[in-house]
Amino acid sequence: MIRVAAVGDIHMGPESQGVLRPAFDTLSDCADLLLLAGDLTRHGTPEEARVVAQEVRDLPVPVVAVLGNHDHHDEQPEKVAALLEDAGVRVLEGEGTVVECGGTRVGVAGTKGFGGGFVGRSAGEFGEPLMKEFVRYSRRCADGLRSALEELGRQDCAARVALTHFSPVADTLAGEPLEIYPFLGSYLLAEAIDTAGADLSVHGHAHAGSEHGMTAGGVRVRNVAQPVIRRAFNVYHLHEN
Amino acid sequence: MSGSAPEGAGENVEYRVAHFRDRLAAEELGELGVRAEVRPGAVVVSGTVPSAECRETVLRTVREELAGLAVHTDVLVAETATPDHAEELP
Repeated sequence: MIRVAAVGDIHMGPESQGVLRPAFDTLSDCADLLLLAGDLTRHGTPEEARVVAQEVRDLPVPVVAVLGNHDHHDEQPEKVAALLEDAGVRVLEGEGTVVECGGTRVGVAGTKGFGGGFVGRSAGEFGEPLMKEFVRYSRRCADGLRSALEELGRQDCAARVALTHFSPVADTLAGEPLEIYPFLGSYLLAEAIDTAGADLSVHGHAHAGSEHGMTAGGVRVRNVAQPVIRRAFNVYHLHEN
Repeated sequence: MSGSAPEGAGENVEYRVAHFRDRLAAEELGELGVRAEVRPGAVVVSGTVPSAECRETVLRTVREELAGLAVHTDVLVAETATPDHAEELP
């Protein structure tokens, strides 16, 4: 059994230091790794990223993260990622990593992802250059996730997890206004997950959404946005087949 | 002939609510997760924010941007407890 802890949308700012650390310090009792599903800061400034880095530095379990849209707002996501990496966090964008959990190999593939909407109600790659680039960017994120999952599939992992900020499915958006679904996720992420295969999909972004969902191909999806799970993190026990 | 304007755009409740949400996003909070909806007779402001300080900032912005309107606020601070159980995924 692999114990996956996950949370997203912790939106840390200057006054946040130490708020989550007491809960994170218990991770060795209940989890083998911690996934951070993006929007770790409010504006993506180095100052905020340092708060996050300090909060997760030297945790008793490996930490794997993707960034979210808030972490891009200050337009220096590479700096945010570098500060987190300096604190020992593996930050993924269109790539994967293998975590050793008590002799078991767990693969995590990550991308921030992007919007565009869901089947039958999605944006198309058509018209103005900005609109086409919107959809192409979402597609590039999904392609990166698919290739990372496929690569992990060749690395003898007992389980593979897809980690995103934007949602791959509409299920976990239930509670959000329907009108903003296209800004909350894209079916392209789910198609990538179903094409490459995964045991669990974890995302954030939808604060008013709901926790449980599933891709069309049957992969379980969990929205771990902190306002949704109402805890410092949730834990999922993945049982190997 | 131009259409009649029973109230200025600046006084229209819908636009004031839109500007309130713009301020939450643009200022120190960077807050996109607070919902503000116009209901009959009142504006409802709801959501979960990361800290008590953020909640105070939201409420102050409500007072400044939506002054004179009936506003119901339901703004919570994110919970940080350790989970008491795990979900089994066979």
